[in-house]
Amino acid sequence: MSSAFALSCAQRGQKTLLIELNVKDKVSSLFGSEKVGTDIAKIDDNLYAVNVTPAAAMEEYALMILKVRLIYRAVFENRVVRSFLRVIPGLNELVMLGKAYYHVMETDAAGKPVWDKVVVDAPATGHGIFLLQIPSVITSLINSGLMYDEARKIEELLQDPERTAINLVTLAEELPVNETMMLRDVMRDKLKIPIGYVIANAVYRPLFDEAQREWLDKSAELEPSVEPRMRGFMEAGRFRAGRVRLQQLYVKRLEQEADLPMLRIPYYFMDRMTFAIIREMADALERQLDGDSDASNQSAG
Amino acid sequence: MHSNVSSMAIRTRLISQQGKKMARKSSSAAQTFDALIASREIVVCVGSGGVGKTTTSAVIALHAAIQGRKTLVLTIDPARRLANSLGVEELGNDIQQIPLERFRKLGIEPKGELWAMMLDMKESFDHLVDTHAPDKKTRDEILNNRFYRHFSSSLAGTQEYAASERLYEIYNRGEFDLIVLDTPPTSHALDFLEAPNRMADAVSSRALQWMYKPGAFTGRSGLGLFSVGTSYVVKTIGRFTGAQLLNDLGVFLRTFSTLFEGFEERARGVQALLLGDKTTFVVVTAPDTLTVEEALYFHDRLGSDSLHVGGFVVNRVHPMWVDREGVSEPLEALENELKIMNEKMVEQTESKVTDFAEFAELLHENVVQLQLRATQDASSIELLREKLPAHTALATVPYFSLDIHSLEGLDQSRRALFE
Repeated sequence: MSSAFALSCAQRGQKTLLIELNVKDKVSSLFGSEKVGTDIAKIDDNLYAVNVTPAAAMEEYALMILKVRLIYRAVFENRVVRSFLRVIPGLNELVMLGKAYYHVMETDAAGKPVWDKVVVDAPATGHGIFLLQIPSVITSLINSGLMYDEARKIEELLQDPERTAINLVTLAEELPVNETMMLRDVMRDKLKIPIGYVIANAVYRPLFDEAQREWLDKSAELEPSVEPRMRGFMEAGRFRAGRVRLQQLYVKRLEQEADLPMLRIPYYFMDRMTFAIIREMADALERQLDGDSDASNQSAG
Repeated sequence: MHSNVSSMAIRTRLISQQGKKMARKSSSAAQTFDALIASREIVVCVGSGGVGKTTTSAVIALHAAIQGRKTLVLTIDPARRLANSLGVEELGNDIQQIPLERFRKLGIEPKGELWAMMLDMKESFDHLVDTHAPDKKTRDEILNNRFYRHFSSSLAGTQEYAASERLYEIYNRGEFDLIVLDTPPTSHALDFLEAPNRMADAVSSRALQWMYKPGAFTGRSGLGLFSVGTSYVVKTIGRFTGAQLLNDLGVFLRTFSTLFEGFEERARGVQALLLGDKTTFVVVTAPDTLTVEEALYFHDRLGSDSLHVGGFVVNRVHPMWVDREGVSEPLEALENELKIMNEKMVEQTESKVTDFAEFAELLHENVVQLQLRATQDASSIELLREKLPAHTALATVPYFSLDIHSLEGLDQSRRALFE
């Protein structure tokens, strides 16, 4: 989803950076590009990607502050220090967010921002909340030191509706919708991070109209006298109609309860995501976003 | 306190003992999923998020209860609809009995008991502190510590550890014939096995011991461990975090470490239970290629001889409704048959469908789309059969058109797994 979103931004002419957070790189297989590692790589027109790992982000950050690699080696590659850094709660998350922050603020020689849009592929609900709350947790725990300064700056960026929007991606199903509502409450009430869209992913095209659905329901009574091939068509039709009915219920619930602008992405029957599908998803997003003013330049989902 | 080395040794030893036992056992043919569950006292369901783990756990427990065992399901997700479909308002943090009478409607005569409990991670961890704190003062100190409040449930492995300790505790009370454990969404089977070790390692690591010493970062007393450049190292880290944070963290970890007096022994108990032959892990997965790859990856990491993973459950498998030949027949034939069916139906009620050419086209398009998915699902399952050892039970549950969170939905899924 983040890939499609980033691609739609790039297609609208924005120079976009897609950030994966310490996951097995999926972007490169989607875009057929070179493996996306810890250095920024170009994956399409206007579109770049990077995979942020805590170790690489930490090194980059430490070097920025310490200036000299030799000292970095002496301090950070010390075995004891390493195991010590591992147990500081939240430090990994902070440096990864710090890297995203750095790119949002990054300017070229002329002082112009390097990136028009930075899209962060955030982890799933539980870990996502943990990640995004780190800056405010840190600023509530400590009140001085570099870590505090960093956390404070990131917190300000995350809470600024001019610059940040979090997009909540969900399926139109029971548990994902519940989770999304919970996530919205946490973002809005606790972390005060502005929410952009709720995006319902994998929504079936209804295919059948109401009369046809009724007909399919009724045809079940004839089942015993129907030959197997025909029964297959009927059962498949009822399956589709049933799933569509369920999904519509949950889409409606999202519309009514979430109180957020909503985007829908159709269901794709190919199970392997390909660039063609990502592009279609991006087009679907673009059509729906058309006319929507979209000022924020950082987005997570 | 022991070092990492000794707890790794424990693990290796347990695995190899277990390996010998299983090697003898697994020479028999593949067992059914039913036989697997019937032969164990603990079932741990693992897998990636969103694959139906919570529902599968409930269905396994439900089946065992119907069969006559006194069963407990420990679930993680606050799945209210699941609770509702089982006939209770919601699941709480206390063990509660689930009435099974409602299943009589479906012609089922439940012979055992079903109990359920929602495992709240924060609460489980508090419970852990409560159980292990040497005295009330230490307990309160930990529970009120601000580090603890923010991070207790998110330090690496703590969720898994809290859950497996709870399991251990309930198991040792001996009240249940079977306990089914649903695991945190992100966790891998491996996290579960390693959690006790990781906790033991964390509290005994040299870096932390160094921190336990009061004033490690501000005074000189904690610095004796390293000779060269230590103060520079400390100063540098201090620049990042502020000295205050390090001190607070030190105080927290020092207090926290008192929890783990005799911890290794208990960790060993938990682990022996998880690795023992009373327990089986069940990997729950969806049939799409990425999720199956991930599931196989867990499986490989658990050991290629699959010591602990007794079964795989593939949820939401698209059935092959119409075979390849049936799909390629001309649309006119489909249209004609629809018309014949329609005439039979009109005898009873008024039909509102008039354009059967269009209807036939849509039905055909639907089957073509679903068949694409069904073909992919079938090849995923084939891949699993190929890669999994012969003794691993592989069960599939079709994708149903009705809501799984209903009495009928749960029962359909139960029959798919066990019959």
